[in-house]
Amino acid sequence: MAYQVIGRSVATSRPGARVRLDGWGTAVVVALAWLLLVVASALNRSDFISHQTVLAVTFTMSIVGVLAVGQALVGISGGFLDLSQPTSLILTALVAARLLAVDINVAVVVVITVAVGAAWGLLNALIIVYGKLNPVIVTLATNFVGLAALFLLFQIAEAPINSGFRDFGRSSTLGLPNIWWPMVALVLIVGFFLPRTRYGRHAIAVGGSRFAAQARGISLRQTRFAIFTAAGACAGMAGLLFAASSGPFTPSSGTVYLLPVIAATILAGVSLAGGRGNIWLILLSVGFLSTVPTSLVFFGLSSDWQAIFQGFILIVAVAIDGYRERNVAR
Amino acid sequence: MSEIATSRTDLPPALPHRPLRDVMTGPVASIGITLIIVIVAGLTAVGPRFLSASNVTIVGQFVAIPMLVGACAGFALLAGVVDLSIGSMVGVSAAIFGALLLGGWDLAPAAAIALAACLAFGGINAIAIVGFGADPIAATLGMLTGLRGATYVIVEANGQSGSLFAFNDTLFAFTNALVWSLPLIFLLVLVVTAIAAIVVTRTRVGRHLRAVGGDPLAASRAGISVAGMRTAALLISAFGAGLGGILFVGQLGSVSRNMGFGLEFQVYAALMIGGYSILRGGVGNPVGGALGFLVIAGAANILDLRAISPYYVNIIVGLLLLAAVLLDRFRGGDSYE
Amino acid sequence: MSAKEKSMFKSGGSAPLRGLGMIAVSALVLVASHTAGEAQDKKFKLGMAVGGNPCCEWMKAQGDVARTLAEQRGWDYIELSNNDDAATALKNAGIFIQEGVDAVIQFNGQPSANPALAQRFGSANIPVVTYDIAQPGFYFVGIDNLAAGHAGGEALGNIIKEKWNCEPDLVISAEGAAAGIVNTWRTGGMRDGLKKVCPDIPEEKWVSFESQGQATAGLPAARDLLAAHPEAKKMAVVGLNDGGVLAAINAAEQLGRADEIIGWGQDGAFITGDNVNPHLAGSVFYFLEGYAVYALRDVIDPIAAGNPPPVKDDAGDPASRVEPCPVSAEQAAKVPDMPERVKLLLAAPPGTTEYELFCPNK
Repeated sequence: MAYQVIGRSVATSRPGARVRLDGWGTAVVVALAWLLLVVASALNRSDFISHQTVLAVTFTMSIVGVLAVGQALVGISGGFLDLSQPTSLILTALVAARLLAVDINVAVVVVITVAVGAAWGLLNALIIVYGKLNPVIVTLATNFVGLAALFLLFQIAEAPINSGFRDFGRSSTLGLPNIWWPMVALVLIVGFFLPRTRYGRHAIAVGGSRFAAQARGISLRQTRFAIFTAAGACAGMAGLLFAASSGPFTPSSGTVYLLPVIAATILAGVSLAGGRGNIWLILLSVGFLSTVPTSLVFFGLSSDWQAIFQGFILIVAVAIDGYRERNVAR
Repeated sequence: MSEIATSRTDLPPALPHRPLRDVMTGPVASIGITLIIVIVAGLTAVGPRFLSASNVTIVGQFVAIPMLVGACAGFALLAGVVDLSIGSMVGVSAAIFGALLLGGWDLAPAAAIALAACLAFGGINAIAIVGFGADPIAATLGMLTGLRGATYVIVEANGQSGSLFAFNDTLFAFTNALVWSLPLIFLLVLVVTAIAAIVVTRTRVGRHLRAVGGDPLAASRAGISVAGMRTAALLISAFGAGLGGILFVGQLGSVSRNMGFGLEFQVYAALMIGGYSILRGGVGNPVGGALGFLVIAGAANILDLRAISPYYVNIIVGLLLLAAVLLDRFRGGDSYE
Repeated sequence: MSAKEKSMFKSGGSAPLRGLGMIAVSALVLVASHTAGEAQDKKFKLGMAVGGNPCCEWMKAQGDVARTLAEQRGWDYIELSNNDDAATALKNAGIFIQEGVDAVIQFNGQPSANPALAQRFGSANIPVVTYDIAQPGFYFVGIDNLAAGHAGGEALGNIIKEKWNCEPDLVISAEGAAAGIVNTWRTGGMRDGLKKVCPDIPEEKWVSFESQGQATAGLPAARDLLAAHPEAKKMAVVGLNDGGVLAAINAAEQLGRADEIIGWGQDGAFITGDNVNPHLAGSVFYFLEGYAVYALRDVIDPIAAGNPPPVKDDAGDPASRVEPCPVSAEQAAKVPDMPERVKLLLAAPPGTTEYELFCPNK
């Protein structure tokens, strides 16, 4: 957003430190909100605190979390939004389902699926870089085209129900869903390495100020390619987890994830205009946003009313966060 | 691009009065050319009936209300705030209006209540975004979700099984009226667009709005109330959505649970083709936005009339979106690096 | 004019690039609209508005079957998509009228627009066949969804009577509110059918969640519902369709409580093939993709022959009745899946319905 341009400084020589320190305020707000929600729900019904609830919430967190990492990478690097995630999620899930149906080895399926996701990201990057077009428009268009193409390709798909893959998707380890652990691992690893690798630091710098980054000799082109390909790979991983844990899916099954992922990304303190954001906060924001619907069910609200409260809670959360942002000394 | 302004003279200058030249080389030119291409393609592929009154009426009636919503949402984009809740606002406005009609209320008071409700929701958006500094995308996304739920609740409570039948003869006649064989609402929306364009490009208010969106710091140092302009823009956006919902009830004679959902994608895609940016304020022209709607609707109409399988329509519209922005870029429009 | 103002009018980009851009756009639109315009001749013209909701396999297939049957008869055929949107349905009506179709078949998933549509088509004197969702003035071709719901509910009721002595811990309804009246008929009908067999299940055991009619979209809501009833073990599931019921079953699997969950679906989408979930005890086939056979046999062919049948617009007294086919999972194993069924249907003698070809217990 334009009003953030003024506040954002040129990338410093220690971008890692800047990114990490930047997040704590938002972390506190979201963590407090989450705590408040849990306490209120537990006071309402003491059986809210149970293993079943934890399972329900963590299953919901898994796919949104992986997609949010991809979205955050795009945002931090100044690419604004990747609106093509609904397509890349389903495309990669379809690839996984089809390969498993012909008994391809799971390890191979994993590699190919993530590669397909990365390829989709690369396609976006090619159009963005060589067309010099805004990523929001490009990903909006590729999503449009991609969904329509998917719809011509298939109507229903499902990974084989008796496969080890599906078993993995519906089971838990150490009390938490199998698909949750890779999500946490991804968040921790990407969050750790982003400010510590060359491409990661370049991405943050480009997001902060592309002029300054260029002046430092960073190739905008390479950075964009790296980021969108990585975001695509995240979508590929999400596609795997989705195919493992979902029943039959349609080409449009991914569209329901777009808004929650964007909300989670923004609530994690990622500035869509770039240069600011802490990947680890995604755990907090996705956790909080995934707990809201569950606790609303415990409060006995019908699904219609749930939407009203979910919206209200999001507005309040970002309002508080925005207020805090604005009033923190810059 | 974002110089710090030190005096009032740094506002974007008023364009000299050369209307024809503006049209040929300004930001509207690209989308205007695209529309001409679409029309030519239509005449070639479909024949003279593409521009017949009957066909223009079909397209005009379909596109009029989204165009109206878009014209008002464009004001928010110019001010640098994207209002993602417009679709759901259309839905909730239609639901409130329809429920009141069903309850025996008269047209004008029911419409007034629906509009007032939308202004209230727009006000909440403004409080969150302008007052508290919330991220506009996230905040209006929350409003989108909340209003979706509100629409569900109102339709379920007042309708049967997801449909609320609220038929008003006057409004139905109005929304379906034809003037010189063309839809009245379409012509009215074109007039509204023209007025909006004049406001945006020729009045002081319009210049201030674009300044607020393009460079808020400079604008505030020049004495323009950034908060005031943004709030006004959000309220206009909400008003347009509210009006759109009311007109939909007139046109369709009913409200469905899902009314308006997804409209924001349709509207912003059209506005972006037409030259607006959802990430940068200050750019865009209402005429360009309207042309964006016409380009998409025209292309879709060609595909409908050529009996091309409806499953290809989206592919072509998506490619068209890319082609149109590419064209704009070649003509010197924004380039993203 | 100052230099600054001059530069504002200079258009960027070189002329060749500009030209290229314009050619690219023209080529794109022209490629999409390539053959010469056709003359309006005297062939019978059928218009079909498919539902356009990406939820279900059969929506697209309905159009494919209608197109093939129309081509076999040498008719002109226009297919448009309602995109699951009322305003689009209205626009499509305008196009059908402008293009001079002789009859229209529609699946309108947003029936709120039906009265306005009826008015338009009525003034233009175009007969309309509507699938499954009744509208006064439109020929009704389809299932009695309420009766289909009852049949499924009773079948499930018989199972839980035998297994649990009519004492489940929960009866879960997978609603799909967006389907409107069809949801009320099917899901509500299933509950009524179940109650007929097991009338004494207490109120608080009847719970529901919004499944959106899809196995994936409804999964989080189903998980939340199950988490809110952590003690329930013996669970019966009814719903709008197989997808909604599967959402509940899959959620139970994820929460480790699928040992005693039994579901009965509607529409038969996921009861055929290799991937049938073992907890889906049965479903009700509608063979929706093959509706065109009924529509053409009983309504459109007579109209084309100049002999329009009387307008029967009520689900209880339809212009053409499609029989529901309740099946258990074992019985469904013999039924081929949808793409295969379409092929066999189109190869069968004209007028043969899918019910005749595939229903294992007629």
